Amino acid sequence: MPDRPASTARRTRTVLVVGERHTELSDALVEAGFDPVTADPVEIANDPDAVGRPDVALLAASLGLPRVALLSRLLREAGAAGVAVYADGDLGALETCVRAGFEYVAPPYSPVLLRSRLVSAWERGRLTTRGERLAADESRREYERDLFVAHELQAGFLPDALPQPPGWELAARCRPARMVSGDFYDGFELLDGRRLGFVVADVCDKGIGAGLFMALIRTLLRHSAEHTPASRVADGGPDLPPRLAFGAGPLVQAVVDTNRYLAANHLRQGYFATVFFGVLDPLSGGLVYINCGHNPPVVLRADGGTTTLPPTGPALGMLPDGEYRLGRVFLNPGDSLFVYTDGVVEAADARGDRFGTRAMLDALAPDRSARDLLDGVDDAVRRHVDGAEQSDDITTLGLRRLPAGPLR
Amino acid sequence: MSFAAKSHVWDGTATIRLTGELAAKSAGQFNRVIADVSAQDPHRLVLLLDELTYLSSAGLRSLVYAHQRLGRGVEIVLVGAQPEVAETIRLTGFDRSVVMQEPTGA
Repeated sequence: MPDRPASTARRTRTVLVVGERHTELSDALVEAGFDPVTADPVEIANDPDAVGRPDVALLAASLGLPRVALLSRLLREAGAAGVAVYADGDLGALETCVRAGFEYVAPPYSPVLLRSRLVSAWERGRLTTRGERLAADESRREYERDLFVAHELQAGFLPDALPQPPGWELAARCRPARMVSGDFYDGFELLDGRRLGFVVADVCDKGIGAGLFMALIRTLLRHSAEHTPASRVADGGPDLPPRLAFGAGPLVQAVVDTNRYLAANHLRQGYFATVFFGVLDPLSGGLVYINCGHNPPVVLRADGGTTTLPPTGPALGMLPDGEYRLGRVFLNPGDSLFVYTDGVVEAADARGDRFGTRAMLDALAPDRSARDLLDGVDDAVRRHVDGAEQSDDITTLGLRRLPAGPLR
Repeated sequence: MSFAAKSHVWDGTATIRLTGELAAKSAGQFNRVIADVSAQDPHRLVLLLDELTYLSSAGLRSLVYAHQRLGRGVEIVLVGAQPEVAETIRLTGFDRSVVMQEPTGA
């Protein structure tokens, strides 16, 4: 028997219910003298420490044994004294968990029975059965395999090579904070090669959830842009000169379509993405763009002057009726454009000091190749963080118009 | 660095004071507070942000999530956001879904 002072025995024990809010169970727990708190399984997977140290964690059997075993291990590591499963409809799932050695409670939820079961789960304390351990190990191995595959698959969503129109350089890189990234970049030809489309995007959040949205958003944007004919004239761009209006149709269509799709189908999940989407006319240097709530890219003039391109609309997926204006800018010979995600300016050193916009602007040297431009920022970020763990995905893209002059 | 969210609901208005950094690590904690608060069907949510020192994109996601969870009829008021936090909210256009106010009184 665990040594238990009398005062501990009498205080209200906290029970963490992991699953959907279950009124009948919660009411019975209160009646049995417990203090129940409900939590979402995803939240616990993200941050098991945030739930405090519950006396007993009750996991919904319908989560399935692999997830129950993994959550159970995370919660025990975070200090939960006892773990049990509760029946929430799926008898088969409950039986699987019980066979693996989990304590359980099942309806009708009588306060007396609940109390006895939970005290026994609590007293069993940190002892885990062999079945629980095996299930947790197997489940972790499976997740690791899945993550590895997801990483490989996601690499396939980034372009193998970026188009390089004559007289221009385009370079980009993406450094994920975890195995799977919520950032991405893209570069592709539009309108039979007469326009260059490029995208830098940051799906809020990181890891596998952001990665799934990254794949969706990238596909929607590119598919819509590539399948909009040049004859489609951009709304809201009647004052555009014909050369710019030519590329604006696919741009506007892609942004509006993607926002509409996300808002109609995924708004409830609270996911959104900040996106910078540019369409360049390589012959004139004219660039039309839509900045969907993204960190303002920097135009770096050949003489060292800089301007930024602030948002022209909200982040994608945030507002169903979001309005998107077209922005435009001309890149002259020797000018560059630098597009980045917030992982650059928010890169923090061990003390938590962030790199910041000022330092980033200082790291942008004019009149360098697109690749050198990115290297310069990369080096400065690395020096700043000085080995501290990377907390967010970092993506950069450089577009440079080669200086006019004798061809080499 | 650490994050705290203290809430109370009175007369249909839920007030939550956020302290520290709202980022990926603390988003779950905030989401739980929102879940508790939304169970009481408030018609107005006031977030006191003057002590919120940092809002990451994952943190902003939890604000967007709160907005979705509470429903369209619930007004969200953000009070006293520090300049950098306000910038993050404006940059992404989320300011169009909420009311942003300077601190009052204090």
